[in-house]
Amino acid sequence: MIKEKTANLQNKLINFIIIALFAIGTFFVIGGVFIGWSLIVIALIFWTYRFLKQEDMKLKNFLNIIYLKIKFPAFGLLLSFLLGGIIMYISGYNPIRSYGAMIYGGLIKNWHITILNSIPLIFTGLSIALAFKGGLFNIGAEGQYYIGAMVATWIGLRVNISPFIIIPVIFIAGFMGGALFNVIPAILKIKKGAHEVVTTMMLAYIAAILSSLFIKFNGGNPVTSKHAYITDTIFESAWLTKFDSIIPSANYRLHIGILLAIGLAILVQFFLYRTRLGFLIRVVGESPQTAKTQGISVPKIIVLTLCLAGGIAALAGVTQVLGLDHKMFENLNAGYGWNGIAVALLANTSPIGVIFTALLWGALDAGGQYMARTVQTPTSIVEIIKGLVLFLLLAKYLFTYLKKRRKV
Amino acid sequence: MNFIGSIINTEFFIAAVRLSVPIILAAVAATICEKAGIINIAMEGMMLIGAFFAAWGAWLTGNPWIGLMFGIFAGTAMGLFHGWATIDLHMNHVVSGAVINILGFGITRYLMVLVFGHPGNSEQIPLSLAAFRFKIPLLNKIPFIGDILFNQTPIVYLTIVLLFVIQWVLKRSAFGLHLHAAGEHPEVLATLGISVKKIRYIAVGFSGTLCGIAGAFLSIENGLSFSEGMTSGRGFIALGANTAGGWSIIGSVIASLFFGAVDALALRIQVLNIFDIYSELFLIFPYVAALIAVGGLVFKSNPPKALGEDYQSE
Repeated sequence: MIKEKTANLQNKLINFIIIALFAIGTFFVIGGVFIGWSLIVIALIFWTYRFLKQEDMKLKNFLNIIYLKIKFPAFGLLLSFLLGGIIMYISGYNPIRSYGAMIYGGLIKNWHITILNSIPLIFTGLSIALAFKGGLFNIGAEGQYYIGAMVATWIGLRVNISPFIIIPVIFIAGFMGGALFNVIPAILKIKKGAHEVVTTMMLAYIAAILSSLFIKFNGGNPVTSKHAYITDTIFESAWLTKFDSIIPSANYRLHIGILLAIGLAILVQFFLYRTRLGFLIRVVGESPQTAKTQGISVPKIIVLTLCLAGGIAALAGVTQVLGLDHKMFENLNAGYGWNGIAVALLANTSPIGVIFTALLWGALDAGGQYMARTVQTPTSIVEIIKGLVLFLLLAKYLFTYLKKRRKV
Repeated sequence: MNFIGSIINTEFFIAAVRLSVPIILAAVAATICEKAGIINIAMEGMMLIGAFFAAWGAWLTGNPWIGLMFGIFAGTAMGLFHGWATIDLHMNHVVSGAVINILGFGITRYLMVLVFGHPGNSEQIPLSLAAFRFKIPLLNKIPFIGDILFNQTPIVYLTIVLLFVIQWVLKRSAFGLHLHAAGEHPEVLATLGISVKKIRYIAVGFSGTLCGIAGAFLSIENGLSFSEGMTSGRGFIALGANTAGGWSIIGSVIASLFFGAVDALALRIQVLNIFDIYSELFLIFPYVAALIAVGGLVFKSNPPKALGEDYQSE
């Protein structure tokens, strides 16, 4: 009895240590202190050891499982980089030097830009991934981004109270704004059967136009204001904490939004796979027919899924305003919606996976800019590589297709 | 009434027709594709690619007709790519469409830099298709309609002709029947010994062709150059037109004309600048109209039964 108890306690302690090592390591790595990787590696080794012992599994089998999981992504990634290199070579640029600069810029030199790029993408990617699990396609995440940004700017410009109150309030208000915004396509879907691809996309364009009007009325009027098409700066009390107040060597622009994004990804993963509501969402996504016969109210779940997706996408706008910009720009082609789709699809709609694919996307952008500055290869090659990486999705299908053909 | 008169006059209707042409083409593309059972949300990307290649061809050769050929070719290629992904690779139709839209933005952006040396706007083409504007004798004497429909540019006429041909093929020919069957009951079609795959490939390829024409209209007939993201959601408005039109050619065309008219109205109000700072607000009109139309479902909704379903020939 006592032995069991101590074993249990020991288990919990080891779990805690692994998570703590992992969290601290991640924190340091994000802050640009790359020694943090060693902590992550130690945590991973620990975890693998424990996992093997618990499941009574051979290391070989374990590696095999991992291999099967990353076979297609790795294959597609490699292939797309290869093709990208060939395209660069044909267009007259040195692929090896370009890739060198891209990797150095994206992963080491401008790591903070990678992180900053990936924050909104994690949110929009999570939003799209969640909707996908519920069998819905939230293609207009960009519109919800604008709603979140507008709500955050509006409150941030007007209320100046303690950050401990105002920041949560803005986050909740932004989430509500995005959720309410998505009530429209949800209602149209369940009442009229209107496909959410059309409705959310139309709302995205509407939100973009409204946001430019909003900016005009909040200090960005080109006739009266010195800074045209940009709102005034929000009160400092609503700014998110910066990393350099904890790790002095971190870049001054880096803010804790990334931790919120990672936290939310874990939360969404937990919600989808460990709660009843998440289970219902996945059932409706897999087969609405089954859900109906099981007595699940499908319309209710559809409304819930779209509202959650809208709220999460709006948080992208909130973090961007509170963390990075502290004001709102008229930036109509930011592409957070489309890149969010790419990120979610690439992660195979896994919430945890979204973190990594968003980081990859961010690194490609940051590295591309560095590459353009140093070796003068145009940044737009990144767009092509992104497109090619999306072939990752095709790679899986291509594999099965080729296999089937060989049999026939 | 002077105010309304200054907005709604013959010029307004001409603008409405011109603005609805790309939407009509893309909406019909969606209708044909979805009638064959393949969901198509990729019109936006296909139009962008078509627009770029049309502008490139016209700029390269100085001949807008060759530009149009380029646009058609590129659009068809994208259509067939969607077909390959959905029919042969059995990808989710919506996912494939989204990927094509993303690729459309990316490819045109990269090619802009490669061909013109900078993103944003392309060089102006030397000669646009609008230069070939001609009146149709006799018909253009009809009051009102003559001015609007029969004193137009080539692609507008091409669209009108295509609409009649498509409607005839769908309603009166054996191929039209097969197309319907491919979207409603593919198994039945297969038992008749007709290849569902082939019918679907033709439908999705042709929808790409139409999108290519629509893109060419934007870049080399309505304008003089390609600019990034110049389709500005028309592909999705077209998708809305197809839904609001109840998956029928006539319904799609009527809905598209309505959206074109709303677009023209919004632009005229903005240009006249009557409402000062709020004028920008009117730009949301077409999107709101599409939203309402899709939500209200003006026509009877009648989507093909096997829409979006993967068809395995075994």
